[in-house]
This record gives sequence, structure tokens and C-alpha cells, in this order.
Amino acid sequence: MSDIDIKRISYLAKLKLPHEKEEFYANSLKDIIKWVDNLKMIDTSETEPLHNVTEKTVSIRKDEINKSNSVDDVLSNAPERAQNFFKVPKVVE
Amino acid sequence: MKSSISQIKDSLRDKKISVEELYDEFLIKAKSSKTNSFNLLLDKENNILSIKESQKRYENGNPLPLDGIPLGIKDLFCTKGIRTTASSKILSNFTPNYESFVTQKLLDDGSIFIGKNNCDEFAMGSSNETSFFGPVKNPWKNKNVPTDDLVPGGSSGGSAAAVAEGTCVASMGTDTGGSIRQPASLCGIVGLKPTFGSCSRWGIVAFASSLDQAGPLTNSVEDAALILNSINKHDFNDSTSSNHVREDYFIGINDKLDQKIKIGIPSDYLKDVSGDILSQIENTKKALIKHNVEFVDVEFKTTEYALSTYYILAPAEASSNLARYDGIRYGVREDGKSLDDIYLNSRTKGFGDEVTRRILIGAYVLSAGYYDAYYRQAQKVRRLIKDDFQRIFNDVDFILTPTTPNEAFKMGDKLDPISMYKNDIYTVPTSLAGLPGISIPSGLSTNGLPLGIQFIGNYFEEKKLLQIAALAEKELNFNEQ
Repeated sequence: MSDIDIKRISYLAKLKLPHEKEEFYANSLKDIIKWVDNLKMIDTSETEPLHNVTEKTVSIRKDEINKSNSVDDVLSNAPERAQNFFKVPKVVE
Repeated sequence: MKSSISQIKDSLRDKKISVEELYDEFLIKAKSSKTNSFNLLLDKENNILSIKESQKRYENGNPLPLDGIPLGIKDLFCTKGIRTTASSKILSNFTPNYESFVTQKLLDDGSIFIGKNNCDEFAMGSSNETSFFGPVKNPWKNKNVPTDDLVPGGSSGGSAAAVAEGTCVASMGTDTGGSIRQPASLCGIVGLKPTFGSCSRWGIVAFASSLDQAGPLTNSVEDAALILNSINKHDFNDSTSSNHVREDYFIGINDKLDQKIKIGIPSDYLKDVSGDILSQIENTKKALIKHNVEFVDVEFKTTEYALSTYYILAPAEASSNLARYDGIRYGVREDGKSLDDIYLNSRTKGFGDEVTRRILIGAYVLSAGYYDAYYRQAQKVRRLIKDDFQRIFNDVDFILTPTTPNEAFKMGDKLDPISMYKNDIYTVPTSLAGLPGISIPSGLSTNGLPLGIQFIGNYFEEKKLLQIAALAEKELNFNEQ
């Protein structure tokens, strides 16, 4: 197992770990990854990955319109809104 | 002994109590409880219409299957107009404007929600200590150290504690790696995790979508069957919802077993367990052997890999699912100068330690260079685990295991995440295979704390599973102990 770059991982997860906690999470992650490393000993060259345990076909509903989630419903929990939009700081200069 | 749903319905039908009096009784008890098992309680005024309608149905002689029954709902189910937080700071201000599929079915059958049960943050935990609203206390005490506060288990710890202390008749929980069965066991009640795909995940705050499953926490197997009847339905809004034909799980639950039943006991599960835990299995064997039940030893080949597989797959799925919490569309927003700062600040301040840890694990095992070695390998091992169960089910009808490796432990005792994760050793393999499992209380430990056993059934065989569990429950007679 290579060393864990906690800054890179937290960047991928869109988290800004406080400096004093970086080591705490890095060590914790290292312990857990070491613990799960035993999976590497298993030969799975002949095994297909399993995504859905019951492996049943997806059922498809009729293509009928049903009214749900009005604009007001969707926006009702927005921290900030402007008219019918979510409001965020300016992205394009 | 607490009344069952059927007994309460009889009292309502016979006018020994009204729906309103019943609600009051539970609400008063819940308000004075010190276990912190509810994040939110609903005053009678919030439910007065449903209470009156339910009463009317009793008076007209046509009550619904769960009419007037006060239920707790884990705070992971979206409930229309009622705050739903997943016990997280980031959702602490969230009020859904839709109802989850499962809770809608419970409402359709006449039940009345008394409140939202505390749980581990985003259902990530095995002790209910990761909730933003504080830990839940187990109503049980160690008779040798009665001053200690004990955990109720998790993540549906508030649900389990509330049912155990009698502040709701039953509660809806969710189970990803043991989150219904483990707290049920530590609190001395019944917990059922149905087959993956039985109960729709629509409207449940997602943790790990290939594992999450809703199920009831109840005082008896009969109550679990009644609730399963309501919630076990196909739903087009959940692409993994199975469309098989459902049975009535309540009718015939106490019927005599008409054929010989063979139950496998995995010898590898019982290595190094305490005498207390071992005697639960021994007592169950003794109790069932006279009912035409044969016990055989079985051995899994994959048990030692189950926890590793789970702690790769569940965090990977969680890391993706929790990407939606960004402070823009709903939930708590933390200010920032740029859009990126809002994302970073909202997420970093909104998630607690355990959730942050699991998002990081997930991001790591999914990241370029590690995906094949961890995530893909874990998905392959998951198939081997499923095949391992199928091999054993070729020869037996059920598998019997302890639910947990230990009794309820002291709050703050397990600080190291790996020792906490090991609590789910007997429940995680079933979850990975997607099989149904039920925990029933089987006896008391030497410290006077409840212990549970788990029956595991084959896919969608909940009917048989509930029948064997009901028989074991009757024979073990835990509630009379």
C-alpha cells in the first residue's frame, strides 16, 4: 500500500480538512485501508463484479406525465433563491 | 409485557381506549423520556385530523390494518412537511415536500407518526453516537454497573430505544450493514431487514444504495409481519424494487411447521465468542429441536472478507451519494466568497467526523489508480460472498447466528473505528448477499442485558422466515424472563 495523500483525497471529496485534523484522518484512513487489504489475497480472475444482488430486470413504468416537484416545491429548501433560480456567487467574470 | 399491535387494535375496537388517548399516552411518555431517542416529537395538534379520521373508522367498524397505531420513524425517511435531518447538521433545516414510499404506505394503512427517531448521522455508525443531536441512551442497564450509560446500537438506535422503552408501538428503521438488527438485539426487541429490493428506497436519505433496505423494529415477530404487509410493495420510483408477488406475512404466522426444517449454524461464526453468546445459540437449538427442526453445522469460506468488502463498498457508495450536499439546493449553507468556497465550507462544517471519514475512504477507493484494486475487487468478492450463501442454502432452509458479538457496551467505549466496525460481523455478510435477516431477543447476558439471535432466510422468503422466528420467539419466551 502506498502512502495516502490526504490533501488529494479531501480535494476529490470537496472537503477542506482543518490543518490540525489532517493527520487524524490520514492515520485513520491508513489503518482502515490496511485492514481491508486482505481482499487482495483472493483470486477473482474468473469472477464478475456484482452490482445488484437480486439481479432482477429493471421494471419500466408507462410513460405518463405525473405532476410532482413544482418549481416552488423544489426551491422551498434553497438557502438562497432569486425568482425561479438557486442563487450562488458570481461564477463568470 | 407490552401490548402487540393486534391487542391495541382490539382495545380500540372495544372502546377501552380512544385513538386520541392512545396517542396522548405515548406522547407523554416520549416527552418525559431521557434516552434522546427522538429528534422531533409531533404534538397532538399536528396529527389531530388523522387521529379523528382513525377514530371514525373504528366507530364505523372498518379500521385499516395499522389504524391509530403510534409509530416512530427513523429520521432518515423523508416525511412531507416534517423536518428530516438524517441526524446531520447539514440537513438540520430540511423539510421535505414529499413523503417516502414506505412512510406513505404506513400512513395509507392508518398509522400515526409520533415523531422522528434519532439515528447515527446518515446512518453511519453502530452505536448511535455519531448523531448531530447527541447520542441515544439504551433504556437497559448493566445490573453489575447500573450507573453506566450504554449505547443502544446503531444506526437505528433511536428507533430501537424508543420501542424498547415503550415510547412508540413500533418504529421504521433502515439497515445497510446491520442497522436494524444490531440495535434491536442490543435493546431486546425484534428487528427485520427484508430482502434487498423488497421495500422501496424512494424518499429514504441514501447511504449505500446497493445495500440500504427499510424494515420494522417491533416488540414482537407478529408486529413485524403486520408492518411488513404495509411496506413490502413494488415501486416504479426505485429501479431496484422487485416486482415479485407478495404474500400476506401475518396470516398463518403461528401455524405449525408442516415439513421438516433444516437450519445451518455456521461454525466459523462461533469461534472465539463468549459463553453468553454461545448459550443463546444452544438455547435456541434446544427450544426448536422438538418442533421437527434439524440443526447442521455449516461453514462459510468468505466470512473473514465480509467486513473488508463492506467497508470498501459502503463508503464508496456513500461518497457518491453524499456528493449532493453542497449547500446550494437544500440543507445548511456556509458562506464563502466563491461557489467553490461554499461547497467546501458547507460540506466540511456540515458533516461530522464519522461521515467525513467514510466519504474520504470512499473517495480513496474510487480514485484513479486504486479503483480496480479496491472497489472493483470488493465487488467481485461480493459475488463470492453471495455464492457462498447460495451454496449453503442449497442444503438448509435457514441459517442461525448470533446477531452481535457482544452485549450493549458503555457509551464512549469504542473510540477506534475498526473495533466499532467489527460489531457488524454477523449482520454485514447477509447485507452484502442481499438476504433477509431477522433478529429476535433470545435471553439475557450475565450482566442482565438482552442478547439476540439472527435467522437468515433465502431471497424473498420472508413468510417462512417470520414463521420460524415466531416459533423461536414463543419457545424462548424472552418477554416473560
